[in-house]
Amino acid sequence: MTQRLTPTETMVLNMGPQHPSTHGVLRLQLTLDGEVVLDCMPVIGYLHRGIEKIGEARTYPQILPYTDRLDYLSSASNNLAYVQAVEKLMGVEAPERAKYLRVILLELNRIASHLMFVATFANDLAATTVFLYGLREREPIMDLFEMWTGARLTQSGLRVGGLARDIPEGFVDKAREYCTFLPPRLDEYDRLLSGNRIFRVRTEGIGILPPEEAVDYGCSGPTLRGSGVRYDIRRDEPYEVYDQLEFDVVTTSTCDCMGRYAVRMQEMRQSLRIIQQCLDRLPEGEVIAKVPRTIRPPAGEAYGRVESPRGDFGCWVVSDGGPQPARVRFRTPSFYHVAALPRMLRGWKIGDVVAILGSVDVVLGEVDR
Amino acid sequence: MLEKLKAQFGDAIESAEEAGRELRVQVAPRSLVQVARAAKDEGFAYLADITAMDTNDALRVVYRLISFATGRHLVASALAPRAGGRLPSLTAVFRGAEWPEREVYDMFGVRFDGHPDMRRILLTDDWEGHPLLKTWQTK
Repeated sequence: MTQRLTPTETMVLNMGPQHPSTHGVLRLQLTLDGEVVLDCMPVIGYLHRGIEKIGEARTYPQILPYTDRLDYLSSASNNLAYVQAVEKLMGVEAPERAKYLRVILLELNRIASHLMFVATFANDLAATTVFLYGLREREPIMDLFEMWTGARLTQSGLRVGGLARDIPEGFVDKAREYCTFLPPRLDEYDRLLSGNRIFRVRTEGIGILPPEEAVDYGCSGPTLRGSGVRYDIRRDEPYEVYDQLEFDVVTTSTCDCMGRYAVRMQEMRQSLRIIQQCLDRLPEGEVIAKVPRTIRPPAGEAYGRVESPRGDFGCWVVSDGGPQPARVRFRTPSFYHVAALPRMLRGWKIGDVVAILGSVDVVLGEVDR
Repeated sequence: MLEKLKAQFGDAIESAEEAGRELRVQVAPRSLVQVARAAKDEGFAYLADITAMDTNDALRVVYRLISFATGRHLVASALAPRAGGRLPSLTAVFRGAEWPEREVYDMFGVRFDGHPDMRRILLTDDWEGHPLLKTWQTK
């Protein structure tokens, strides 16, 4: 009996824009040979709101709430990149207390965002328990945000020159409590995931991104540090009071999904270290500098740059001396990371796509702007 | 860095200014790719962003290159006409240039010669006009 070989051809498969593991409206057009990904074309723009165009028709304070809606898992980072640029243009500096409080807000945002990452990443790899745990541990942070800013997600906590408001009574104790509450929970995640055989098989050696290529694609944050490049804007271009705080820049040299996961797990512990130092040293005083009611920065241009949970978040503001900016540009890490996805996906199996995409932790709000 | 660029490219470096950690230069479009390559060889290996702005006279396309070793930013600008502008693509030097160049095309209408996939990126393919031009009115 002769065996007939079935002729094969490549197939195009659309993953998304609505898909449980694309974490927002992202469409990946995959070219497949059987199970193997030959190529990938990401299609973006489904969430485009034209924030940069809107910015040209708003006053400087009016723009701030729009920035919340870029990386909506870390609104304080977006706020700060914008506020930094405007403060540089105006020559304004936030009071010392505001600088410490900003760092606390930023690092709480980082932990909340990384917890969301661990939760969804584990869920993508079928560890549903960890999804619920991650959201559970994120909840007390959301309560802290609500207590301080009145909002849980889109906080608009910052202002040009400082903060919208000082921390309320009881906040310091609650924040300290959280700093002792979280580490045992992170140990638990380690036991559930980091040593879990299924989790390891699905993440170790998968989705390799070599360090030179990570830089060449403009990758940043945990995606860059997961490829072994020791670059963190908090250390290399320090802002606020990061240069006075002790923390380690975490890297792994495995360049794979496990490496990117491991970096974020360690970064949460470093963020707790930073928050504790800030709480210990928190000076008394004002939380906002004297800023004119109508903000009209002198003509010129300035660039704000923040290490957001996802990486290099930049904001370029050009002033013509008027009450509205001539141009406001947001450089968002996820945009560059989605651009690098085809490189990370090629050659891997379709089952790995979800793991690789999840390991990069993109937020489509900042990709599409 | 500035001296090196001036020595190598002469009057293709049309203007230069130091501002804090930034070195701002305006580069003639014909030398853009060579300047980018020279900067990359000098350690400016990270292309942070490509964007543009409409100055009403021209479109100013802005490239931000960062050196991880020194923390310096090289902010290079190149001018293109407001309608039908073309600039050489940096995709052969930085792989990360592909998407931001598509965005500049999408929002401002500047086309990049040598780009492997010069299409719109955020807006739909049948969109008319380029919204970040000052003449484009929001409704």
